[in-house]
Amino acid sequence: MAEESFLADDFIRQLMSVGEVDLLVGIPSYNNASTIAQTLHSVEESLRQNFVRERAVILNVDGGSGDETRQVFEQSSERREAGHKGLTSLRTIHRISCMYDRSPSQGVALRSIVAAADLLRARACAVISPATTNLTPAWIANLLRPVYREGLDFVAPLYVRSRFQGLLARDLLYPMSRAVFGQRIRELYSDEWGFSGRLASQCLEQDVWREEAVRTRPEAWMAVLAGSAGLKCGQYFLGPKTVSPSATGPDIVDAIRQTVGSFFWCMESNQPYWMGRSNSPAISTFGPEHELSADGIPPSQEKMFDLFRSGVNELEPILASILTPDTHAQIKAIALSDRAKFRFAAELWVKTLYEFAASYHHAVLNRDHLVQALVPLYRGRVYSFLLENANSSPETMEAQSEILCQEFERQKPYLLERWTGKN
Amino acid sequence: MKEVIIQGLRQAYSNLVHMFAEFLPRLLVMLVIVLVGLVVAYLLKTILRAVLHVTRLDRLSEEAGASRFLRMAALPSMTELLSRSLFWVTWCGFILIGISVLGVAGLQEQISRLFLLLPAIFVAILILFVGLVTANFLSRAALLAAVNAGYPSPKLLSWSIRFVIWALAVSMALEQVGVARQTVIAAFSIVFGAFMFGLAIAFGLGGKDLAREFLERNLGEKKREKYEEPQPL
Amino acid sequence: MLSQDENLWYKDAVIYQLHVRTFCDSNADGIGDFRGLTSKLDYLQELGINAIWLLPFYPSPLRDDGYDIADYTSVHPSYGTLQDFKDFLAAAHNRRIRVITEMVVNHTSDQHPWFQESRSSRENPKRDWYVWSDTDNRYQGVRIIFVDTEMSNWAWDPISKSYYWHRFFNHQPDLNYDNPAVREAMWEVMKFWLDIGVDGFRLDAVPYLIERDGTSCENLPETHEIIRDFRKRIDLAYPGKMLLAEANQWPADVRAYFGNGDEFHMAFHFPLMPRMFMAVKLEDRKPIIEILEQTPQIPENCQWCIFLRNHDELTLEMVTDIERDYMYDEYAVDKAMRINLGIRRRLAPMLENDRRRVELLTGLLLSMPGTPIIYYGDEIGMGDNIYLGDRNGVRTPMQWNGGWNAGFSTADPERLYSPLISNPVYGYQAINVDSQRRSAHSLLSWTKSVIQTRNAFRVFSRGSIEFLNPSNHRVLAYVRRLGEEKVLIVNNLSSSAQAVELNLQMYKRHIPIEMFGRNLFPRIGDLPYLLTLGPYQFYWFRLRRI
Repeated sequence: MAEESFLADDFIRQLMSVGEVDLLVGIPSYNNASTIAQTLHSVEESLRQNFVRERAVILNVDGGSGDETRQVFEQSSERREAGHKGLTSLRTIHRISCMYDRSPSQGVALRSIVAAADLLRARACAVISPATTNLTPAWIANLLRPVYREGLDFVAPLYVRSRFQGLLARDLLYPMSRAVFGQRIRELYSDEWGFSGRLASQCLEQDVWREEAVRTRPEAWMAVLAGSAGLKCGQYFLGPKTVSPSATGPDIVDAIRQTVGSFFWCMESNQPYWMGRSNSPAISTFGPEHELSADGIPPSQEKMFDLFRSGVNELEPILASILTPDTHAQIKAIALSDRAKFRFAAELWVKTLYEFAASYHHAVLNRDHLVQALVPLYRGRVYSFLLENANSSPETMEAQSEILCQEFERQKPYLLERWTGKN
Repeated sequence: MKEVIIQGLRQAYSNLVHMFAEFLPRLLVMLVIVLVGLVVAYLLKTILRAVLHVTRLDRLSEEAGASRFLRMAALPSMTELLSRSLFWVTWCGFILIGISVLGVAGLQEQISRLFLLLPAIFVAILILFVGLVTANFLSRAALLAAVNAGYPSPKLLSWSIRFVIWALAVSMALEQVGVARQTVIAAFSIVFGAFMFGLAIAFGLGGKDLAREFLERNLGEKKREKYEEPQPL
Repeated sequence: MLSQDENLWYKDAVIYQLHVRTFCDSNADGIGDFRGLTSKLDYLQELGINAIWLLPFYPSPLRDDGYDIADYTSVHPSYGTLQDFKDFLAAAHNRRIRVITEMVVNHTSDQHPWFQESRSSRENPKRDWYVWSDTDNRYQGVRIIFVDTEMSNWAWDPISKSYYWHRFFNHQPDLNYDNPAVREAMWEVMKFWLDIGVDGFRLDAVPYLIERDGTSCENLPETHEIIRDFRKRIDLAYPGKMLLAEANQWPADVRAYFGNGDEFHMAFHFPLMPRMFMAVKLEDRKPIIEILEQTPQIPENCQWCIFLRNHDELTLEMVTDIERDYMYDEYAVDKAMRINLGIRRRLAPMLENDRRRVELLTGLLLSMPGTPIIYYGDEIGMGDNIYLGDRNGVRTPMQWNGGWNAGFSTADPERLYSPLISNPVYGYQAINVDSQRRSAHSLLSWTKSVIQTRNAFRVFSRGSIEFLNPSNHRVLAYVRRLGEEKVLIVNNLSSSAQAVELNLQMYKRHIPIEMFGRNLFPRIGDLPYLLTLGPYQFYWFRLRRI
């Protein structure tokens, strides 16, 4: 049974015209007509400034926008800098676009991007989100350069964060991925990242493109795949990031479903890789390792605690099937504690997460439901975090974050035990 | 007299021998049929499994979400399930054919009735199973959604959903088997109607506040403080 | 009286550029001369060219390859006599070959009697023929052209104890064109040669004639005034004679030298040349398209002059810094290949002796709008010697055969003005006219046939150009058009095979006829016209509607 190609004939034709390239920048889009022209110009500017001699292509993969995003991309004229006698770059900067008709999905878009990278034999690629409004030419160069010149295979971004931003990444995803996969990638889930053609080809060969985890959040999967294939990962400090107000990020429930769901799935599908790893070597980081800005007031989140408490109550049977009786009892106990003295300790938090991961592996209930059951607990943990750190300096918070990471690493044997044990 | 008796006994004996002589080949035939049936069923199972494997049914069922139900019901994969079912259905068929070859009076009729009822029972069981799994799944989904969104009384919502689906599944199953059709339909209508009525009243009463809130928010001044969580990513 | 159309001969010309010294030596003194050149005219006629551009052959101390002229109205004794020149001219005209000579108007040699008089005392009547100053800080900020050798545009004259202005070497003082006497003297020089029968002049270093404070001293309006004056005089007294401008400037600046068709007839298109090389290396048509888009329209009676290589370095003044670095890295890795802002190499070695690329670039040169110039030796793929000083590496003797001194001279090899190229790849034993003449597939034979094809169709010299924009950027395709004569040119600039779809809707129902083999190609229909091209391959099609 011959499988239908997911690449349209017209797209192949465009790829043929472009021919071999050195660099590929992919822009997945969905209703980004208002910002994509700006993004495109930043990319072109970056290529002109930093990769004068390289053959480059900019690829827009559109998820069936209703607002002419694709037309804007194709027709927006190349902005000529006031160069010498109006001359621009050495080479044509190719611009191609394609569309997929299923619902918008990062994974489907990425599949076209890695396919193009593979077919055009691109050496370095980057994925750029048109929703990021403060994208500068330097960003794109910073994602491409480590791949193109330093031989890295995956480059994650690093952003400046205010103290109370990105807690899911800082309190869960980063420390857990560091302990589990041994990869010190701070922003495992981001809208911009760079990767090598080699990694693109490997990704393309994987038969996972229909998996929900890959369809929604392919970037973490890519990073884990790079790690498991023994390829080099790195991260590049980009600066602060702002997102266009029209594209508000996912709410907390969706964010956890997407990221934690994809994270657990990565664990599930890469068992031989992570189970044997016991250390997390530092990765090449360009620019400062991590930067928290002191601004940001802790949001007063009385309601978070209520949601935590009611969640523990209402979901009792579900939590009981996921957690060990001991852990479940501890959580129930803290849920009864006084609001002001509430503490969700790191040790308990790590244990909870590891038990969730193991239960995900054993599929004790629908995996999506399992991940959703984590939401109230996460809220409890964040509430506790906010209480503790209302007035902490960024340095203190950094130190705490490091302690959490070590806790995750310390308890990894427990994860293995739960994971391999029979329920 | 004695001769008559002996005659009768001899007659009976010869009859028995005759009957036995007549029955034995049939029994043998039946055994052969059952054995052949076993082989055929096994072959069919193997072939179906191979075919399903080639057509990647498991991936299809995974995508359709059916595999999750099976996993939760501790059932094997779709391919395995189908091929095993085929095996048993085929073999049972052969056994029944074999029994009918025995020519036992009355049994024939019962078997043919069983043959007629078999699909209905099978479908009914399937409906109950699917209903159970669906009710479980949807009620849990509702519970999680309600809890995470902070809606009041999530358990009630979850149980209501579970109950409605159960009621629907049970009535469908009974209807399928053909037990007291009219009664079942009427009973279900009453239960479902009552439930809907209850829901309507509940929503009506609860919705009063909701509606006011909605109107206030959209038409009145926007003084309602917004609940905002720290940006997760 | 020549017909109006005949007066536009320069538009249809294919010019062959040579230096008398390098071509053929008839008197065994190791230096080429006019008699030798005359003996080789048959070869040039056979090649198909119809004009010769002679580099300076005037008496000169030869410190700048003859561009330092010591006497404008005579022939350097090494090259023969004035009579020899007249004989050569007549022989060329017999073969319908025109002759263009160098007119170095901006400066003279410091050995020229005019300068000797001018520097002799401040009171000399010719004092004002040159640009003198007591200080060396006038005209501040004017760029120095020979950055490798000159520190300033002013040079100290110890005799008259003052500074004189020079834009090139310090032994080449600039003439003072603000002085009407200088203009008259120069017109007399021109008249002298026009009377002998020369068909046109290449005016050297035109933008620098006039100096004014506070300007770049280039392209000044007064300079244009002088050119218009010369042109008017020529049109009146010598119709059909041609003026060619050497102005190494951006096309928009050069455009001014055409005036309203009342200044130069022709001007070099400098920026195009490096971009042709660049496009082939980048495998992208962008540089060529971009520069031609920047090129303004010129008056009807004017024409661009285009070339691949010439006697100077491949100049990289008219490119951006990025482009220059790229050209250096790709075409002149060895520092010895670089001089000033350019690359001192010949065509074949620059293209790594790749016959396909030599043909592709020659094909481009001959099919682009403009009058092409072929530098002597490039038609056989001659090599260079980058270890000879200055730009002498591309000025070695012409290689006629594999015998004694490559057939250039019967003198002792040591006596030659320059050593021959003798390495196994480009040496005269391997590359010479005689051996290539014998092979129908040699570069020389190929060049002959392509020139012949070009000469057969006026559309090449006079037609308009319209670029097709196929989505494959490694393919450069354009249609030349003159009335009903239409030619489609498709070039694959890349080293790999390419497929291209051309939108030829304008030429629907036309039949493309390949011009070298005269084979028919499928008729142009409704669909995009699909062509496949091998590495560096190109097609010339005549589009005929029958």
